[in-house]
Amino acid sequence: MMMHPPHPHLTPDEIELWAQGLLGAAGALHLAECRECLVHAEQERKLARDLANLPRFGPEFGFIERVMAHVRVPTPSGDFRA
Amino acid sequence: MRRYERPVFSLIYRMVRDRALAEDLAQETFIKVLNGIRSYRPEFKFSSWIFKIANNAAIDQLRRRDLDTLSLDGSPHAQTADEIQATALQLDGGAESPLDAVTSRELGGQIERAIARLRPEYRACILLRHVEGHSYEEIAQMLDLPLGTVKTYIHRARNELRGYLERVRD
Repeated sequence: MMMHPPHPHLTPDEIELWAQGLLGAAGALHLAECRECLVHAEQERKLARDLANLPRFGPEFGFIERVMAHVRVPTPSGDFRA
Repeated sequence: MRRYERPVFSLIYRMVRDRALAEDLAQETFIKVLNGIRSYRPEFKFSSWIFKIANNAAIDQLRRRDLDTLSLDGSPHAQTADEIQATALQLDGGAESPLDAVTSRELGGQIERAIARLRPEYRACILLRHVEGHSYEEIAQMLDLPLGTVKTYIHRARNELRGYLERVRD
């Protein structure tokens, strides 16, 4: 007869904790016995890794200069100059 | 400013999926930040303040131009093949500009396409959480949303992303 794991299926928060290596013992035990949760958790971890590995894009050359051309810079008298 | 240049630009670019527009909105964001530096409240993280302004700029733009109904694969709300065709961005036509070509190359991967199909509020949450690495609490602060709502949006966004990626990989 198949034994059911005593811990309920993992919540999204618990799966995230597992991916960070922070899941508690009861959750970890459940994960070791529940294939459904394990498959789901591994899919979530893969997705999180894929997202974290997405490249960062940069604006075109001269971006900071274009921004600074519109920034009001305070003068010693307390006024601002564009 | 250099520290935030790429993260802020990337967030806006993935939100609006238009390089030239993202450039304008990122510029607008930094001008607001630098001209409004005196209104910054130090009890908030500086990065949260910048991303809040950046996200607001992107969301305002999406609302104005309704870009959220457009994607490479057509509107996520499209029900029929004709509707999908009618709302899909055509990036491989002869009229493609050099900037469009860059966007097509940069954001053409499966996961980028999957992100593009998310509702803007889901997209913002998932990008801030998993690409920029902010905590749920910080995201709630940035987006002026209850913590539970942020968790729900991220959970739903992950489900939608997994579902889409499973379908295209099958």
